Amino acid sequence: MSAKKETLVLLLAGGVGSRLNILVQSRAKPAVPFAGHYRIIDFSLSNVMNSGLTKVGVLTQYKPLSLMRHLGMGEAWDFTGRSRGLKILPPHTGFQDSDWYKGTADAVRQNIDFLEKNPADEVVLLSGDHIYNMDFHAMIEYHRFKKADVTIGMMVVPMSEIYQFGAGVIDDQNRIIGWEEKPEHPKTNLASMGIYVFDYKYLLDSLYRDKAEVDFGMHILPRAIDNDNVFAYPFYGYWRDVGTIQSYWEANMDVIRHDSSISPAGWGIRTNIEADGRPADRPPARFTNDAKVSCSMISAGCVIRGTVVNSVLAPGVVVEEGAIVRDSILFADCSVGKNSIMDLTICDKRVKILADSVVGSGTNHDFPNIKQPKHLYTGISLVGKEAIIPSGVSIGRNCIINSHTQESAFSTKEIADGETL
Amino acid sequence: MQKPSTLAMILAGSRVDKLDVLTYYRPKSAVPFGGFARVIDFALSNLLHSGIEQVAILSQYRSYSLINHIGTGAAWDMIGRNRGISLLPPFKDNSDNVAHADWYRGSADAVYKNLDFVKYHQPEEILILSGDHIYKMDYRDMIVYHHQKDADLTIAFVQVDKAKAHRFGVAAIDSEDGETGGRLTNYWEKPEDPETNWASLTVLIFKPEVLYQALRENQKTVSFEFGRDIIPQLMAQGKKVYGFKYTGYWGYTGTTEEYWQASMDLLGDNPSIDMQAWGLRTNMEHRGISDAQPVLIREGAEIHNSLVYNGCIVEGTVRNSILFPGVQVEKGAVIEDSVLFFNNHIGANCKLNKVIMDVNSVLGEGVCAGPEIASEANLVTLIGWNNHIPDNMCIGEGATIYPNITSEQWGQVKRIAAEEVLR
Repeated sequence: MSAKKETLVLLLAGGVGSRLNILVQSRAKPAVPFAGHYRIIDFSLSNVMNSGLTKVGVLTQYKPLSLMRHLGMGEAWDFTGRSRGLKILPPHTGFQDSDWYKGTADAVRQNIDFLEKNPADEVVLLSGDHIYNMDFHAMIEYHRFKKADVTIGMMVVPMSEIYQFGAGVIDDQNRIIGWEEKPEHPKTNLASMGIYVFDYKYLLDSLYRDKAEVDFGMHILPRAIDNDNVFAYPFYGYWRDVGTIQSYWEANMDVIRHDSSISPAGWGIRTNIEADGRPADRPPARFTNDAKVSCSMISAGCVIRGTVVNSVLAPGVVVEEGAIVRDSILFADCSVGKNSIMDLTICDKRVKILADSVVGSGTNHDFPNIKQPKHLYTGISLVGKEAIIPSGVSIGRNCIINSHTQESAFSTKEIADGETL
Repeated sequence: MQKPSTLAMILAGSRVDKLDVLTYYRPKSAVPFGGFARVIDFALSNLLHSGIEQVAILSQYRSYSLINHIGTGAAWDMIGRNRGISLLPPFKDNSDNVAHADWYRGSADAVYKNLDFVKYHQPEEILILSGDHIYKMDYRDMIVYHHQKDADLTIAFVQVDKAKAHRFGVAAIDSEDGETGGRLTNYWEKPEDPETNWASLTVLIFKPEVLYQALRENQKTVSFEFGRDIIPQLMAQGKKVYGFKYTGYWGYTGTTEEYWQASMDLLGDNPSIDMQAWGLRTNMEHRGISDAQPVLIREGAEIHNSLVYNGCIVEGTVRNSILFPGVQVEKGAVIEDSVLFFNNHIGANCKLNKVIMDVNSVLGEGVCAGPEIASEANLVTLIGWNNHIPDNMCIGEGATIYPNITSEQWGQVKRIAAEEVLR
């Protein structure tokens, strides 16, 4: 085996993603299902694979079980082999107790022994939270060409959205000369995508320098920009953070649009469909004589007896006769009973909607959820994992039905707009 | 840990001429079936669900596709300390005796040539089955019956349409155990005028010593088939041969017409073949089907009474059909009563009626195959793999297109008449 140094990848997959509400109740944001049988992290991992990078450490923290099961040994992304590897790096206790990660830089610092055991020329730092297609190999070449200490993947976003991101000011050589972390009054519309290429030694030095610097965006990068060579690597194309219910829903809808600029197949996105310990070899989707399906994504194992329009269905979803599923996202093994209607709804796994019910009724799309007005305010209703919606119930807009809700929890047949159960 | 007592041997070597272009490049057992699987998956899944953990596959015709499909056997949970799947291809050794080493001259010869392998496993019973049939069976019930009767050989039989019985091994079974089974009083291999309608499923359980001796004796003859030679031989010797009566669905895919019919049995409100309920397992790595994205159904598409697997993109109309991974159906195209294998591209406004299409072909715009849509088709129209069929080509009902027809050849063809063979 050659002793050639390689690029090491560190994937930050600890994100809580709390604005995704009940979708992240039992899993980390990167493990949230997306576009049928994928999960959000599949996009980052597949980009890594398709860029020819073969050594990956995945930093987990928040509810990692579902994520770890999904990653397995990394076979799905071709990370198994003599010189390849995917290693899961959970938080561990150090000399002091309670060494939970205090920030992104702290998380990497706590795994500095992993970095030292895997010498490389560069380290690619990524988040597992985003939907995009990018060739990191080209970015690494750019990084080398610029002789940069740090290169940051950046793209132009609307001025109104920049407050969610790290924002950079660049000169005509793409050198970053100014930085604002989540600015309220931004001077630039160039946003950090949370993708960094670090010179290996530079990263180690930065991490050893000061333990109080716990975050890349808040501490390490501003200091690097002031003192060292930091460049922006411009990215043009589809990139979504899917950190809110609305953006998550929109990105799913992007997948099924005819002129869509996002294509899991076209991008070579892989997934591990053996997750959850369930056998992955579900039979083809079955469409009965009465099925009507349009503008939708339907996964293996689905049985469609009713109508599905503008919706994304994960494996094993059953839509019974007379049922209508519209503008909705259903996770694996949900069932929609006879003559029930799902409109603008996201259902987590194994939700059972019994017959003659409506989820997403009425036209009060603007009436936000009362408990979580910042999470649900565009009309989307959420149904949590394994909830059962009894027969004949009507649920309004921006409602939340919590996970494992049983039939007995419904004291009335009507759940008003903005209610949480 | 208990040692597995049953050794299963799957006969997967044959080509079957009547499947025509579908078996030019693969054995019959590796023919795609059910929108994502292969025919042999039914036998393998039955073995998995029957808890039979030592399996050998006898294969000699174009086995590449089959070897790929079996992989490590992990898909059927057949790797582990006491579990294993072995592919047994024909081999040469240092003897000149073809009885020891050479091509398999028949199913019985194939097993005979691998007796070393068989004896190494010291099985208590040897289960020999065909990899070519579509059915769901728990072999343990039959093994129990075999031991209850202390039989030398137990064979599974199913009742078929008497008019078709002449194609199979047929038996007269006495009523010793009523609906469970009975002793064979007579056996005819492919009789011209069958006296009963009990057809052999080619599922046989042998007492090991009986099998060894029968195979040794059979070597002195010139024909080496279980159905034609071994069973009649044991009957003639007065051995204890029992019939085990099977009553479930049995799909026989010996001709393209039968293959088509068995495929149609996957459809309908209560399909005779329910792959989900049967727990059918396949190797998701084969042809990378685990990487296919879910089906995309575009505006204006219509899909009725059909199975469509991941990787398909449908813009046209699909009725009573089965689409394997990676099939694209463009706008205005109508697919009816058809089975389209992996990665076929159907151009705009194509009309397909009762067509079986092997993998990797492209139909240009406006291609017609089979009789007019909605009219009753009698014959299957067959399209072999790797064809690029030019725009507006008309292919008559029952025609056969060989694989790999060159573009020069297509240039000289204006239309293909009914039942014509283009090679």
